[in-house]
Order: sequence, then structure tokens, then C-alpha cells
Amino acid sequence: MIFNSELSAQQQHTTSPVVTGGSVIALAYKGGVVIGTDTLCSYGSMAAFKNVEKIAQVSKNTIYVSSGEYSDFQQVVKELAKIDRSALQYDDGVHPSPRDYGNFLARLSYKKRCKINPLYLQNVIAGFHNGERYLALVDIYGTYLESNFVTTGFASYFCKAIISNYWNENCTLDQAKQVIRECFKVLFCRDCRAHDVIQLGYVDEQGVHVEQPERVETKWDFNGFKTRANEKLHTQ
Amino acid sequence: MLKHLYDTDCVTWSPQGKLFQVEYAMEAVKQGSICLGLKSNENVVLCSLKRQPSELAGYQEKQFKIDDHMAIAIAGLTADARVLCKYMRTECLEYKYTYESHHPVGRLVFKVAEKSQHKTQSGAKRPYGVGLLVAGIDPNGVHLFETCPSGNYYEYKCQAIGSRSQAARTYFESWFHLFEKSTLEQLILHGLSALKKAIMEDEELNEKNVEVGILGKNQKFIHLNAQELKEYIQKLETFNANTQIQQE
Repeated sequence: MIFNSELSAQQQHTTSPVVTGGSVIALAYKGGVVIGTDTLCSYGSMAAFKNVEKIAQVSKNTIYVSSGEYSDFQQVVKELAKIDRSALQYDDGVHPSPRDYGNFLARLSYKKRCKINPLYLQNVIAGFHNGERYLALVDIYGTYLESNFVTTGFASYFCKAIISNYWNENCTLDQAKQVIRECFKVLFCRDCRAHDVIQLGYVDEQGVHVEQPERVETKWDFNGFKTRANEKLHTQ
Repeated sequence: MLKHLYDTDCVTWSPQGKLFQVEYAMEAVKQGSICLGLKSNENVVLCSLKRQPSELAGYQEKQFKIDDHMAIAIAGLTADARVLCKYMRTECLEYKYTYESHHPVGRLVFKVAEKSQHKTQSGAKRPYGVGLLVAGIDPNGVHLFETCPSGNYYEYKCQAIGSRSQAARTYFESWFHLFEKSTLEQLILHGLSALKKAIMEDEELNEKNVEVGILGKNQKFIHLNAQELKEYIQKLETFNANTQIQQE
């Protein structure tokens, strides 16, 4: 076969996303890792699906979230759940650790990137295993980076200043959650594809806890809005 | 029993419900020179007696490292053992590539057993003629497994396979209750004592014909070198199995 069959007319590859999820922010705190993401899936510039719960529990002590193409996210959740399930058939009680998932995802992403058919995702995997917290970013190319904090999408541009000023890796869970809420407030104001309803999930020694979606407080009762001070200018 | 009527291939059962070809393959394991393994809460030790085909030849190695956390000792057809060894090493490498962590031991033994069973259910294949003692450490703890040509596998606290292994097993039956808490040195001395029971009257243990491999929770698999072997074999003279200490 001279021609690569993957380039033939029958197979098209996704290099631009259709339904996308927004930024993800994950912070380690003393005793675990907390992830926040909004509940919006955008269809281009349309806010199409506003109640999407995007925090996936992959195993007893691992959660996975990603920003990017939502269908790819759903597929990856299936792939990761498959690993955990197939561990059952060996009857040895050994389950993949969060790091195993992270590395597997990195290998999978890299393989797809090499075939110019990427999983259009920035992935975040968080977990708690053997008394140690775990947080990693796997990007669209398969780059694997373990870190104490991770941001994807617009959060990487708007939120790092907030994180570095108000967060440290030994803060409490509530402090970390508050930092994430502040970040999403800023994102809602500045990122066109962001939403003000977010969901937080955290992993600690006890396991995975995914909270109900919540609305971030945003302020719109500025005097300028109320008195419509600028309108006079425009009508002249 | 008219064995010869039912023992031509793996696809023929005997009226007593036996597959003779598989049983004959297990005999090949019993012909190999002895290898044994024993474990404590922290370590696994493999000891084997190496055979020298002739005065001019070297000694046949019987222990192979599969990965930092796993090793095997073989008894039986060395060529078949090489095939399984290569398979296990490849599986460990692939697992490491994908997950960046060590292949769980029981799972790999299960894969080997599955592979072995496959050979017992075909008209055109023969079973592997080798038994393995697989020593390994994983998040589940310290393990010692035995695999058979039949495709069965068992987990052990201590086990010996190969020629005259019953003598070693008898030694183990008397002392295995001590192994759990033994130190590495005590474990090695117990292993060598068991090995000593299994050699012929005119044979003796020396650093050339004995192979000892050790694995621990913080110890990657290594072989003891000639000097260390000599020292341990010397310590055997004064080793008291019951108290596990040297005494005059």
C-alpha cells in the first residue's frame, strides 16, 4: 500500500472542534486537589448547553475534566472507565492509580497526535493515592505535566495572577475553592465563551466529592448601568 | 491402563479424565535441576542449582530478571523458558510505557498461565515444558507464584520445583512458619539450607553451581555475586534453622 489509507476520502479527521467546554482550573490544597469548571458547552459562539456536568469520576480516587471538544471528552471518559473495569477481570484487587490514568492518557493523546487525528482536549487528571495528592495536565499533543495547579483555556491568561496572589499549595479546601470562584468571576466577565454557573469537585483521602453546580456571584448593579450615564452621549 | 492409546496429543482425553500430554510436560519440569523460592513480609529470595553439561561447559543460568520488581527461576526446557521470559519482559515494558508504573505481578502470571493453557487445547501445539517460579513485588505486597505447563498457577509462601525438590519442600514444611518475619539474611540461609537438602551425596554447594537472587520492597532484583555466595555458603555450616541465628 503506497498511500496511507488514513488520508483517503472516506476518513476525515477532526482538527477543529464543534461543541466545546470552557476553562478548567485545578488547585492542590493541603489534603487533596480541587477542580472547578463551568457547566457550559458552547456550539461555536452560541451558549448551547448550559447545564452540563463535566466532572467525571473515573475511579474511586481519580477525577478527570477537560476543556475542548466535548465528544472527545465523553469518549476519553469511556476509555478511562474501561481500564478500571478491566482491572476487575484479574481478580487481584489491584486498581490503576491516578498516575496510571494520567500516563495512559498522555500515551493515548500522543498516539492520536502522531496520526494527525488528535483528541481535541486539554485534559486535567486529579487524584489522591497512598497518602499523596496527584494533579496533572495532559494537553492536545500528549505533553504530560504534573503540577500543583493547572489551568486550561482562557484561565491560563486571566487567572494565573489571581492564583499566584491568593493561593498556596498548603491552603485549606475552602480557601482553594474561594480562589477558583474568584477566577471564574473574572472569566465570566472577560471570556466570551464562559458561563457563570460552575461546578467544583475535590479528591481527598476519603475519595471523590463532586458538588452541585453553583452560580458565581457577579456584580451588575453599578451606578453607571442603573443611571445609564453613557446613553446621553450616544443619542447626541 | 492403556496410556498409549490416549497420549498422542493434547486433544485426546483419557477415560479417567486426564490429558496425558500435559502430564508428560509436567514431567519435563521435574527433570530440570532444582530451584526454590521463599518470601517474607519484605523480601523474596530465589535459589537454584545450576547444571554444568560437561567439564568444558559453563553453568546454565536459571534465574532471569523480568523487571526491577520481578524475576523468574526456571525448571525444565530452557528454550521454552526463554520464550516465556521474553514474553514477560515485553509485557512489563509495554505496561511501563503506557502507565509509567510496574506491571502487577499476579496479572502477569495470569497472562503467562493463559498463554500456557492455550497450548494445551490444540492439536497442532504442545505445552511449554517449563515451570516458573515468579518472584515479584507490587502494591499488593510480596509475591511468589508457580506456573505449570498445564496453565495453572498458584501463589506460595515458599516452593521448590525440579529434581529432588521434595527434600526442599520437606525442609520448608518444618520451618516456613518463621519466614514471614525473617530478615533477608535469614531468608537466604533458609533457602540455601533447603537447597542443600536436595543435592546428591557426592555434590556440594559452591559459588559456581548456586544462584541466589533477591528482591525486596526497597531492593531491585539482583543476583548475589560469587564473593557473597561464598560467604553465605560458609555461614550455612553454623546456621540453626530454629533460632535462625548462627551458633557454634
